[in-house]
Amino acid sequence: MNNLQNEKININEMATFLLDTGVFLVSSGAHSGRVWRNCNRMAKHWGFQFNVNLNYTGMLLTVSDASNPEVAVTRFQSTPPSHIHMAVLSKVSHLSWRVTDGDLSFADAKQELELIKTHAHYPYWVVALAVGLSCGLLATLAGGNIVDLLFAFVAATTGSLSRYFIVKNKFNIFLAAIMAAFISSFIAGLDTIWGLGAMPELALATSVLYLIPGVPLLNSVIDLLEGYYSASLTRGLFAASLLFCIAIGMTMTITILGISNF
Amino acid sequence: MIDLILAVLLDFSLAFFVACCWGILFGTPFKALWMVGLLGGFGHALRFVLLDFEVGLIASTFVASIVVGLSGIAGAHKVHTPPVVLTMPACITMIPGLYAYRTMLALIKLSDKSILDHQTDIIPNIAHNAVLTFSLLIALAVGISVSAIFFRNKSAKDIRWSKLI
Repeated sequence: MNNLQNEKININEMATFLLDTGVFLVSSGAHSGRVWRNCNRMAKHWGFQFNVNLNYTGMLLTVSDASNPEVAVTRFQSTPPSHIHMAVLSKVSHLSWRVTDGDLSFADAKQELELIKTHAHYPYWVVALAVGLSCGLLATLAGGNIVDLLFAFVAATTGSLSRYFIVKNKFNIFLAAIMAAFISSFIAGLDTIWGLGAMPELALATSVLYLIPGVPLLNSVIDLLEGYYSASLTRGLFAASLLFCIAIGMTMTITILGISNF
Repeated sequence: MIDLILAVLLDFSLAFFVACCWGILFGTPFKALWMVGLLGGFGHALRFVLLDFEVGLIASTFVASIVVGLSGIAGAHKVHTPPVVLTMPACITMIPGLYAYRTMLALIKLSDKSILDHQTDIIPNIAHNAVLTFSLLIALAVGISVSAIFFRNKSAKDIRWSKLI
């Protein structure tokens, strides 16, 4: 036993800290089981009991003092806009383990969380190039040639950049997805119109793959398997709507370019 | 045989870079990207081999994602991250984007009467692609959450392969 464990923590501050951690994890792309485990680990270490109702749009939790269950606080906090960032999951997990090992006081842990929040994502142009490369390679994996790769690369990179600027200007994310899908598929559709590649329809199909909401889709099923039904439903609805937006963007391209046999 | 090995190697190397790129999109730490590439390439190549032996798309995706999920636990110890940080972008290389997209596109086509008269098999098409999409998604999700399902919700930090065997 070290003296850090005897540190007296205000229950309100504790609830705020756990909510902050939780909603931040959800918006970074953690599934509900991970949020629960990380928060529960820290709450238990500091001698608090912890019950939670997790959702994709917010988090409702009750924290009570383990030694005195009469002292309890119930709070709700909404989730900030979703921004997938796996490094955050890794860092918060490390933070929770360091807390459990007794290396961090409550004040230090709070400071550490603020530090994690400022952790930068990859620059947007690196992401755009990576997205282009991966879509181009996926076209090749499915059987396209170098021309299809180039079309998918240019299409996905341009689309990713335009999505970044649309989201940056605070437009609706569904609108951003429709516009990005339209721009990407329009550029890739030129491959079909000009008939350059070996399998031009592959370039068209893979150029929008970067828009697929893979993390919410998979998290939705993981939540379902682990018993967080409401979180699973809301995530699934969000992911399905994004998929639908991609389809709308591509339909616009197909109508304008007149690719009827796709 | 040589052809198969070459094809598998090509599949592995392409999927390696695809997985790395998805890792960048999802913000996986730079130090862990090589592990993401290895897992993604390995999973995709395994699926390629299984498909070559005519195992079936859903079954081979399921096996590949379980293998990625299990080796992700070992990989997580190596690069000190939670397994999901690695297995999520690795499994995305096998995401059924094409089938999901075909389902949606066929649904949109359903609104046009002339297409409906022309393509009578559009409803079976939608059903087939939707079932494929959901089955593949569940196969991938089981692979990623393998530690939670098979190890009774233990944290991956407590799972050591050397201690299990």
